[in-house]
Amino acid sequence: MTTLAQNKKPKNDDSANSATVIETKALCRHFGQGDTLVKALTNANLTIERGEFTAIIGPSGSGKSTLLQLIGGLDSPTSGDVLLDNRHISQMTGSELSDFRRDHIGFIFQAYNLIPVLSAKENIEYIMLLQGISAHERAKRVTTIMHAVGLEGLEDRRPAELSGGQQQRVAVARAMVSEPSIILADEPTANLDSKTGIELLDMMKTLNEQQNMTFVFSTHDPKIMERAKRIIRLVDGCVVDDERRN
Amino acid sequence: MLIIKLAFRNILRNRRRSLLTLLSMGGGFFLLCLTLSMSEGSYSNIINIFTQDHTGHVQIHHTNYLERPSLYKTIDKLDTILAKIENNPQVVGVTPRIYGPSLAYGKNKTFPAQVIGIDTEREAQTTRLKSKVKLGQYLTSNMTKDGYFEAMVGYSLANNLALTVGDELVLISQGIDGSIANDIFIVKAIVGDANSYEKMNVYLSLPAMQQFLAMGQGEQSQAHELAIILEHQQLAQSFAKSLQQQLLASELTVAPWQVVESSFYNSMQADKKGSYVSMGIIIFIVSIGVLNTILMGTLERTREFGVLKAIGTRPMSVFNLILLESFILAMFSCLLGLLLSLPVCYWLATSGIPMPEPIDMGGIIFDTMLGEISWYVVLLPSGVVIASTLLVSFIPAMRAAQISPLKALQAS
Repeated sequence: MTTLAQNKKPKNDDSANSATVIETKALCRHFGQGDTLVKALTNANLTIERGEFTAIIGPSGSGKSTLLQLIGGLDSPTSGDVLLDNRHISQMTGSELSDFRRDHIGFIFQAYNLIPVLSAKENIEYIMLLQGISAHERAKRVTTIMHAVGLEGLEDRRPAELSGGQQQRVAVARAMVSEPSIILADEPTANLDSKTGIELLDMMKTLNEQQNMTFVFSTHDPKIMERAKRIIRLVDGCVVDDERRN
Repeated sequence: MLIIKLAFRNILRNRRRSLLTLLSMGGGFFLLCLTLSMSEGSYSNIINIFTQDHTGHVQIHHTNYLERPSLYKTIDKLDTILAKIENNPQVVGVTPRIYGPSLAYGKNKTFPAQVIGIDTEREAQTTRLKSKVKLGQYLTSNMTKDGYFEAMVGYSLANNLALTVGDELVLISQGIDGSIANDIFIVKAIVGDANSYEKMNVYLSLPAMQQFLAMGQGEQSQAHELAIILEHQQLAQSFAKSLQQQLLASELTVAPWQVVESSFYNSMQADKKGSYVSMGIIIFIVSIGVLNTILMGTLERTREFGVLKAIGTRPMSVFNLILLESFILAMFSCLLGLLLSLPVCYWLATSGIPMPEPIDMGGIIFDTMLGEISWYVVLLPSGVVIASTLLVSFIPAMRAAQISPLKALQAS
């Protein structure tokens, strides 16, 4: 069986060899102004290394999702900078950012966010189509990833015909299949029952260990915290703790 | 391929709405097609009537003859030009004419008359003149046993002069050499009716007319006009342009019927523009429905556009996806419209709608409103439906392309 790691080719030598995947410098995100000013994130300085399995935790409104959105280029910082694979993503234009997200970032959302009119296989294949990967290579990768996430036999089912856990597996497969530098998962187990959540987390943990993929979670799920190699705690938009585990 | 699949599936997602839009656009196509078919068919019929009645599809004259006719502005070397034109495969018939305003005298009265010299055989092959003989027999270039040439007289002129077949007609005019032209002719036939083009005309054979006006004959044959009938009236402008290029060195002007009958052509164009307004109203109403569908479709899918953009779809690709969906919808609407309109247009083109009161147009009874099936009748509505659909899709597509992925993902 070919693994994704075996298929993987470095996007550029510098980024592939560098240990640092993400670096945030004095990252701030404020909403509103004057009396309604909300400081969602304040002066966040973080470095995430390749192969980390990191959980960003904190209470609701602490800025977890905001941090993930800024790292993923879905939102622009009020001040500060985000470097992903040594590239300043906050300075990119709309199309550059789209291409960058396509090639470097995999997203897993709390609400799965699959395209309802595409089958499981097509949802996974879509991103590779954007990357211009050949049909043969796409088919090979889809087979490999569907096996890896335990979705064999469900290729032609549409999201509405899959359970929540199966949909989130498709979302994981979609995030991983493009071989991104980092996978950002925003509360990935929040909509899943406990058993399915554990299965999914174990699967991601295995992929992280076997293929050295970098995962960053935004969560307050204890199951993720148990498995994380690093826990970054946010309170009121500030990083208050950064714990690494062996 | 996946993008096309995605577009198709998005259309089929809300089948009832898509079907209603399809019917609305298909209905719009049907109405446009029908309006155009009737308009083009009616005008085509009228054009055929007057071009085949007298004008022809293309005419050749000496330069400026159309603006200021003159006895002296002649087409020389007639046989050479006739041979050149007849060799063209698009030409169905060509006939030379000589015009000479004259005074006509019969019995006790004198009336002004337009005397036209025609090549009797060519004229019969080119126009309907022969079929419009009401009394007597069609003109020949023969002389009577008493040495007179034959003449065909228009219905009203014959009435005014109290002439009938076999009577003597005296014509007085001016010869091309400055002499007074006068001669006696024998009425061979009465042509047309009180409303037809020929009502005040006198027709002589070409040799008779040339002799009457002292014009060149035989190899030196002259005429004032050459009327040409082509395979189809739509060829007139391109044929005229091409022939004019060939005759550049001569002092001849080649004019399509649109120039010869410019007042009719201009009023026809104005009327067509008027019908474009009603077509515009049809399209406007249809477009509102399409806009509603596309807007609803894109608003409902805001979150999906956010996902597509978050995972790396470029804004332009989102824009293109929505336009592709609209294009597919428009194409199927055209297909539906075509299926509905083709049988009706075919029936209109072949049977037509009988008019409650037939109209006499220059002696030709116009009793049926005919439609037409042509590429123009089919392609214009297709183009209009597709273009208007893409146009109204532009704003929703722009909106979806420009929306921030984060805002779209947060949409409920």
